[in-house]
Amino acid sequence: MTLFELARRNMARNFIQYFLYFGSMIISVLIFFIFVSIQYNDEAQAAAADSVKINTAFQAASIVLLIFVALFIWYSNSFFTKRRKKEIGLYALMGLRKKQIGWMLFFENLILGLMSLAVGMFIGMLLSKFFIMILMKLMHITVAVHFSISLPAILETIIVFLVIIVTASFYGYRLIYGFQLVELFRDEKKGDREPKVSIFQALLAVALIGTGYFLVLQDLKPPLWRLPIVALMMLLCIIAGTYLLFRSLTVFILKQMRKRKNVYYKGTNVIGISQLLYRMRGNARVLTVIAAMSAVTLVSVGTSYSFYYNAGEWTKNNFPHSYKYVIPVDQQDKAEQLLYKALRADGEQHKVTSHVSVPALNLDVQMLEYDGGSAEFDIISEAVYNQVAARYGQKDRIHLIGNEATMLAKFYEKKFKKSYIGHNGKIGSVESYENGGKKTFVHYVSYERTKFLQSTTVVVSDTMFQKLARVSKPLILNQIDVSGQEHLGKVDDQFLIAMNNLEKKIKERNAHYYGVFSFYGIYHSTMTAYGLIMFLGAFLGLVFLLATGSIIYFKQLNEAAQEKPQYAILRKVGLTNREIRGTIAKQAAFIFVLPLVMGVLHSTIALGALSRMIDDDLTVPAVICMGIYALIYFIYYLFTVRAYTKMVTS
Amino acid sequence: MMLLNAKGLQKVYGRKGQTYTAIRSLDLSIDKGEFVGVMGPSGSGKTTLLNIMSTIDQPSDGTVEINGRNMNTMNEKELAIFRREHLGFIFQDYNLLDTLTVEENIVLPLALAKVNANEIERRVHETADFLGLKELLNKYPYEVSGGQKQRTAVARATIFKPDIIFADEPTGALDSKSATTLLRMLTRLNEEEMATLLMVTHDAFSASYCHRILFIKDGEIFTQLDRGRFSRKEFFQKILDVLSVLGGEASDLI
Repeated sequence: MTLFELARRNMARNFIQYFLYFGSMIISVLIFFIFVSIQYNDEAQAAAADSVKINTAFQAASIVLLIFVALFIWYSNSFFTKRRKKEIGLYALMGLRKKQIGWMLFFENLILGLMSLAVGMFIGMLLSKFFIMILMKLMHITVAVHFSISLPAILETIIVFLVIIVTASFYGYRLIYGFQLVELFRDEKKGDREPKVSIFQALLAVALIGTGYFLVLQDLKPPLWRLPIVALMMLLCIIAGTYLLFRSLTVFILKQMRKRKNVYYKGTNVIGISQLLYRMRGNARVLTVIAAMSAVTLVSVGTSYSFYYNAGEWTKNNFPHSYKYVIPVDQQDKAEQLLYKALRADGEQHKVTSHVSVPALNLDVQMLEYDGGSAEFDIISEAVYNQVAARYGQKDRIHLIGNEATMLAKFYEKKFKKSYIGHNGKIGSVESYENGGKKTFVHYVSYERTKFLQSTTVVVSDTMFQKLARVSKPLILNQIDVSGQEHLGKVDDQFLIAMNNLEKKIKERNAHYYGVFSFYGIYHSTMTAYGLIMFLGAFLGLVFLLATGSIIYFKQLNEAAQEKPQYAILRKVGLTNREIRGTIAKQAAFIFVLPLVMGVLHSTIALGALSRMIDDDLTVPAVICMGIYALIYFIYYLFTVRAYTKMVTS
Repeated sequence: MMLLNAKGLQKVYGRKGQTYTAIRSLDLSIDKGEFVGVMGPSGSGKTTLLNIMSTIDQPSDGTVEINGRNMNTMNEKELAIFRREHLGFIFQDYNLLDTLTVEENIVLPLALAKVNANEIERRVHETADFLGLKELLNKYPYEVSGGQKQRTAVARATIFKPDIIFADEPTGALDSKSATTLLRMLTRLNEEEMATLLMVTHDAFSASYCHRILFIKDGEIFTQLDRGRFSRKEFFQKILDVLSVLGGEASDLI
């Protein structure tokens, strides 16, 4: 029998043993392949080319993914080899030379790798269309995605994984040289000695986590060069603190439980608690890794989802109307016709639900918050303002006399209030300035956020409006709402092109025209950008979650293999299968819940800081993310308990 | 009073074509308060017999009744609970849990049965006194000697005052001094606590502590030996005689 044959037979017989390793390899290939497929997908690239640089974003994410996949394969490979120590020892005992065993392991790894590459890519081809569709949906792009096989994606996946597989195979080959025969037969090291409670460690843990949180919650202050250092310190504090906490606090809790004999000596508690205690020291590291990964996942997914979630809201708040333009009086009907024409061309799928058109001016207004700089803003009279407010069903009314004025700022900030209220500002037309013409001074009595007006607007008294109208051409301010404004697509294209042409004509006549604000345009580009961020965040989050779950799963199964004899004893002593399942479920719950709680706590603090920084409420999106995360995590828990029980009772 | 009654036991391993018969046909009964030994050469089926009678394994045919209850009709859960409340086990390799202290190992059957903590403490100390384990209660199995481990196992097996204690080569891994101590303790349990014991052994010295010995060969009872009024030494000699007829390997005799 050749070595290749031996390797092949080994795998065929112990397929279940190999399955875990095989499974994680396939998943790694699958994820990577889907990712590059999206990156190389023509439709995805074409659709997003004008709004965001999809390629760059994906390239960065794919590097993160690559590192991750490599680490994951390495982890499952070493887990897998550990479980086969005895088998390898047996070959050595039977007189196979190290070199031969090495080659056998090499071939095994190679066959397994190549098979998972093929299977992973095949499943990936079937699934990639689905993922591209999700991406398009998130980016609010309507494209028919076709089933396609991307050659560059296949090539890139093959190259990357060949390197990983060959490296892993050589690692398997080298492994045998690191072993002593006697070592191969020695049982896996029996669990650690019972750990001691260290008050010092517990206090240090609390202090470290506290310091970390304190740093997170600080306002970002210059100098900015300190930022990376602070961030690094923060991370180190929290991770070290979490580790010490797991090491000390868990031991403390378990020992307390053990002291209370009426709890401890109740049913299977005596088994569960002592086993957890026994393994705690070894588990602390894994628990820390899982807590950290959970936190990273929750923060990245939470952040990207929050952005996505708030982006739509933000656009709707800042662009409350489908269209807004200010146009010379004689062009008013023309513009309106253009809109109706565009709506008709689209088959009347969208209807105008409200159209407010009122007399307005557009003049150069001194911006007091910026020390005298100026910009052109809309000017309306007090009467018009009150009329518009009534039209939109708002209760706001303004009453001004003489040269009093109110500034309604679009990008309102409270701190600018004192720049305006009680101060004088000047308004005039650019042309009149150039001709040495006069400026009109107004006295600001109020500074507020714009509510139902699209743009920054100055409201003046009726008499002041008359006065200003004399130096400027009369214009009409239009605010139009159209039903289904998120999906205006074609209407928007046609209308904006038509308005563009109209603008050229108006400008030829040297008249004033102040561009169209289109809700759809801004909404669309915002959602495209944040949709992409959301997709990347969710995708990487999913990968992290998969890896986190798998690490606990592997770890627990490894433990199950070691605990098997103990459970055999317990069965003889008279533990029912149900009780065995119960104690396993309790122990696993301890292992699963602790890092989840810490991860959620860390990410809550981080998201809280973020929410303060961007001044947005992230509660709903963050809770949704954590809920989904906990749910998937719980499914992993169920699988682990099932597999563990099966392993020790079979 | 009959405590254990096994009838027509048969155990066949393997599937069609390739079968191996471990127990051909066997009847056996044990009275309350007896100390019964089972001997036989390697592969004679003694451990299989013990496993079947102690409900860890199921017979291919035949019935086992303990205390009037039929083991064949119980499900997994009932069997497990029956085991922990009515049966005690002592194994050659101790089968103690490494993660538990001596005390916790002993407590296990009581804890599983949810006896209250005070009662548990009382019984642990009583049993530990009897078996000389008092000083060792807070130690872990890796910290005590083989003989002490086996006494811990005995304590675990007896703390529930089981109907019958099954011992599978209990002295197999012990040096002769520890073995003698252990056998004396089993005898005391039998005499003072009225415990019923069934011990599988291939060591004639250990067997000489029993009241009655069943010799098994090729899955059947070959012969039976009663101690009657013989002294232990005389009984030991008789056992050796039977073994030589039985044709066990030399290594099995001592």
